[in-house]
Amino acid sequence: MCRSVNESMVKNALMYDNKDILRRRESPERRLHRVKIKVVSRILEANDRIASDNRKKFNEADVFVVNLMSAPGAGKTSLIEKTIKALRNSLRIGVIEGDIAGTDDAQRIEVLGIPVIQINTGSACHLDANMINEVIDDLPIKDLDLLIVENVGNLVCPAEFKIGENMKCMILSVAEGDDKPLKYPLMFQESSALILNKIDLLPYIDADIEKIKRDSLSLNPSLKIFEVSCKTGEGLAPWTEWLQKVVHK
Amino acid sequence: MHEVSIALSLLNIAERHCKKQGYQGIESIAVKIGKASGIMPEALLFAFDAVKHGTLAEKAYLTIEEIPVSGYCHRCMKSFSVDEPFVLCCPNCGNMSFRLDSGRELDIVELDVF
Repeated sequence: MCRSVNESMVKNALMYDNKDILRRRESPERRLHRVKIKVVSRILEANDRIASDNRKKFNEADVFVVNLMSAPGAGKTSLIEKTIKALRNSLRIGVIEGDIAGTDDAQRIEVLGIPVIQINTGSACHLDANMINEVIDDLPIKDLDLLIVENVGNLVCPAEFKIGENMKCMILSVAEGDDKPLKYPLMFQESSALILNKIDLLPYIDADIEKIKRDSLSLNPSLKIFEVSCKTGEGLAPWTEWLQKVVHK
Repeated sequence: MHEVSIALSLLNIAERHCKKQGYQGIESIAVKIGKASGIMPEALLFAFDAVKHGTLAEKAYLTIEEIPVSGYCHRCMKSFSVDEPFVLCCPNCGNMSFRLDSGRELDIVELDVF
């Protein structure tokens, strides 16, 4: 399937602009001044540079930043609500919500009395460093211990874009299927913690939770796995205790 | 995914270097795209041609060197290289704990300018 690209791709590019190249070769002035500039730079340098700037600001404000990712509907906002209720007496928490449209998620956090900003990407399927950079000054980060960034619901792209976080965590709801880790390896490889949500549904679905754990650990042996139900509250204590420990470190 | 935003970033970097060194235009840009980068060369070529109009790279063509996926297995302690755009396990011993050494590049290498 993956063919050697060099020659065919170069040929296609040349054929596409054939007329232009022929014209250039005929022009003597162009031939004299053609020069090679070595660049050697990552194309995503702009995003990564801004991510570093974000991280510097977060470090100076002494706030720990978690980038929370999952497919749509896996339970990111619910987990944040439960985490806030469990830890608000020991940690000062703030939230950045990322969605393509709407403010539903930010409103759910707002009623808890927690500082929250909603980013609407309009069309982008993931948050990037620049979007975070634009709202950093709107949050009282110097007065926060923990900032949770809820990324856009998507199992693919968020894992590819740094935003300046200290740690990536992801949620997989058991109803999504036990084949997901091997189908979407990058997010599992990039995360420090995997929260397996909706375990209250296990009696009603065919998912093999042991397979999910096995495959996830194969991709990422240091992944911490928590089995929870945001609906019933089961399993949430180990997650919030671990998170609190990590933040304090 | 995101070939258009990659093409835009690429153009931005190329134009910056071209202007900084005092040249008027870009004839070609050489890039390295890792096979596991998630970027499809055909889509990048298409996106590049779509966004280059009105820039110093208006007449430029893109040359893409595809970098294969290679890594090192933590269990059998051997280096490996694969043809697929991803690695799920070491092709020698089947272990899933490995380090990826190449294949995720998204690099701009050099420009031909005038």
